[in-house]
Amino acid sequence: MSTLKKGYSILYQWLFHRDDRLLLIIAGSVAGICSGLAAVALRLSLQTVLEWLHPFRHYGWAFVLPAVGALLSSLYLEKIAREGAGHGVPEVIYAVSRYGGLLRFRSSYSRLISSFLTIGSGGSAGPEAPVVMSGSAIGSNIAKFLSLNERQRITLVGCGTAGAIASIFNAPIAGLVFAIEVILGEWKFVNIIPIAIAAVAGAEVSQAIIPEQVIFNHQTFQVGLLDILPSLCLALVTALVSVVFTKTLQQSGKIARTSSFPLWVRAVFGGCIVGTIGIFMPVVLGEGYHFIQEMISGTFSLGVFITFVAVFAKIFATAMTLGWGGSGGIFAPCLVIGSLTGIVFHKFLLILLPSVGCAREGAYALLGMTGIISGVMQAPLTGIFLIVEITGGYEMTLPLIVVSSISSTMSHYIEPASFYFKDLIERGQFLRPGTDARILSDLNISELIETRYTKVSGNMVFREFIEIIKTSRQNFFPVIDDRTNEYKGMVKISAIRKYVLDPGMYDMIFLSQIMDTEVMTVSLENDLQEVLEIMDINGMETIPVVEHDRFVGMISKTRILDLYRRELIVQTSAH
Amino acid sequence: MNYKLLHIFRNTPFGRETFLQSLYFCKTINAFPLAYIPRSDKFLLYFSNDAVQVDLDHSYLTSPDTAKSNAEKLFEEMGTKPMFYEPKNFTASSLPDISTNFDYLCCPRSVSDMSSKIGLGHIGPRVRRIIKHATFPVLITSPVFKPWKSISVFFGGSKNALTALTLGLKIALASGLPLDIYTLLEKQDEAYYRELIEKEGLDEPVTQLSRQWFFYEKAHFDTMLYDVPHNSLIVLGAYGHGIIKDLLLGSKMEQIQSTVMNNLLITGPHCSMSLQ
Repeated sequence: MSTLKKGYSILYQWLFHRDDRLLLIIAGSVAGICSGLAAVALRLSLQTVLEWLHPFRHYGWAFVLPAVGALLSSLYLEKIAREGAGHGVPEVIYAVSRYGGLLRFRSSYSRLISSFLTIGSGGSAGPEAPVVMSGSAIGSNIAKFLSLNERQRITLVGCGTAGAIASIFNAPIAGLVFAIEVILGEWKFVNIIPIAIAAVAGAEVSQAIIPEQVIFNHQTFQVGLLDILPSLCLALVTALVSVVFTKTLQQSGKIARTSSFPLWVRAVFGGCIVGTIGIFMPVVLGEGYHFIQEMISGTFSLGVFITFVAVFAKIFATAMTLGWGGSGGIFAPCLVIGSLTGIVFHKFLLILLPSVGCAREGAYALLGMTGIISGVMQAPLTGIFLIVEITGGYEMTLPLIVVSSISSTMSHYIEPASFYFKDLIERGQFLRPGTDARILSDLNISELIETRYTKVSGNMVFREFIEIIKTSRQNFFPVIDDRTNEYKGMVKISAIRKYVLDPGMYDMIFLSQIMDTEVMTVSLENDLQEVLEIMDINGMETIPVVEHDRFVGMISKTRILDLYRRELIVQTSAH
Repeated sequence: MNYKLLHIFRNTPFGRETFLQSLYFCKTINAFPLAYIPRSDKFLLYFSNDAVQVDLDHSYLTSPDTAKSNAEKLFEEMGTKPMFYEPKNFTASSLPDISTNFDYLCCPRSVSDMSSKIGLGHIGPRVRRIIKHATFPVLITSPVFKPWKSISVFFGGSKNALTALTLGLKIALASGLPLDIYTLLEKQDEAYYRELIEKEGLDEPVTQLSRQWFFYEKAHFDTMLYDVPHNSLIVLGAYGHGIIKDLLLGSKMEQIQSTVMNNLLITGPHCSMSLQ
């Protein structure tokens, strides 16, 4: 029995402890399968409820349907799940960069339910961000269950994300790219393999359960060199539309937050507006996959002016849904807005140049989708791979790259932060691995403090002090009150030369008379960036740390640099 | 040392009692109390391997305009400088992250339920998770402010119990109050426990700082609880099991806290303590 146990122990050590790749692959596959299941469940339930509600859409009272959905969604999130508001993806990025990917278990299901209520009732939002949130939380909680470390946990968060995106779009490469480009922000060999396997697992789950339900049918397009120039123009248009979309979403949220109404009232108001628009323009309702398919296959029947209006109607409806209390993501709205923009552009192109031999309008719908995804998320690779995979349009790779790269670059000029990152950047919490801000935030101030300092009393005579400094290598001596133990000031060796050179003063002065009481101090509550700022402004190489009037220790720039280098090596090493 | 205790302030008569208890605890052991006045009904605590969301009941948000001044009055009443904690980071706009970089945390028996439930001897699931993951001891106060005049450590010989004993010794050292040790003889005899603390190098401080070490037979658990002075701070180790595990295996902590109304100072499995 003991031999068996020993053998098992050796095998376990060899498989999982010596090198954790196999462990991450197995755990990542589980995360991919679970998040794939979550995505499939949301997709099927949305499809069922949208079909069930479809016959009622033409009634006049149907404008209340999105309001009811948004009401239930906001009440569920606020009163039952008690989740903080937010789209989900920035929350995942925040958890990855700030807390090693720690996510609450409730996040693995709460957004699925709330977005089902919002989108199923007709709210203009996408199911992708909720499944990303859910998949990431599943990955994080698997890591917690297995007591994995921070690096391994972050990899599993990426696995959950990739599995979710791969499953909902049946696009494993897009899942992998999205997880790395948007969520983790670093391309590391050790991450790529488990995340790729999780993405494949997620896509296979979707294929196994709903093989007949591909979101978009594959189409073949004849795209030639003649389309490159129009693609450049379309890229500029999509960059502009992306910026308008991002700004409208942000403004809508800000206006909603300034109102004194409770969340559920705001959600009802937003839902009513969306429902009213939806009566006249059904393309704004729900996730809009059906309309995207029509646009790709060239059966979308709206005229150029109505389609043009529909672009802004969808932007407005999405802002009213997400900004005013509904739940969901911006991925699907980006696809709808992008394909509408592409169609409008194509129609205008044919009006201006009727004889130009460019590709069909479906191809421009795809280019528009890539342009908007790349512009809003500033994630060009995700835009390219997603569209190539979900439509099978590999012949379009060249114009897709052109549109994607130009759109993301141009929108970056106008709006430097993507929709997902903007809020985090404003809060100073966008901490990508290997960046200065991330390294400084990962260094704990308590490990920087040098505590082995000899303290001296304010009542000490200078002669006694001379005896102390004879045997000490300290350049600073904190002065402490004998009675209360409170920090009073600092004696700097460089500032007392004139007294040292005058032995006549040795018995005449006390340290309280020569200490510097104006020395800037910091506390344990300050973060390292604040500490460095104070040191720079005051030209200090060393700064005392004082907590509740008690001297804790000193922080030196040398020590900071030492630990900074060590942390940088850890964060940028292959593992 | 600059020990800090975080107290989630509740602006109600019950909250006043627990806050006074925190202030008294800090004053006695020479620590600094920090009051956090919540502005939303939830917050997050990020531990090394878990993110615990604490959902507060609405009594925590009672009269927000008077909360700070009421807390300040209580600080002054205890002769302590008022200090408040302000969260710096937010997971979502209404979900602040509360630092876990404290030495003690004060919790009522349940943070998510109405105070009327507390008298029923119920420790909420959030408090259990906090205990399970916290690297600091958790102070669970009595429902009414009750100054304590001695320290009672429940020592059962486990790793957690050793941490609790070390903490008890530390509190005794800082406060100058007498320390009593209570041991329930379950499978081992008296000599085993004495050898154990000798092995851990705690025999000398125990001899110096403890007033008495009581041993009880397993069947006399209730007698042991009754013998603990009513005005004593009970220090014990706990595993922070979930409710299901507790129902299946039983929980000493649950039994103790539902029987005695003393203040409890609990060390969880991730809590480490040294006498230095």
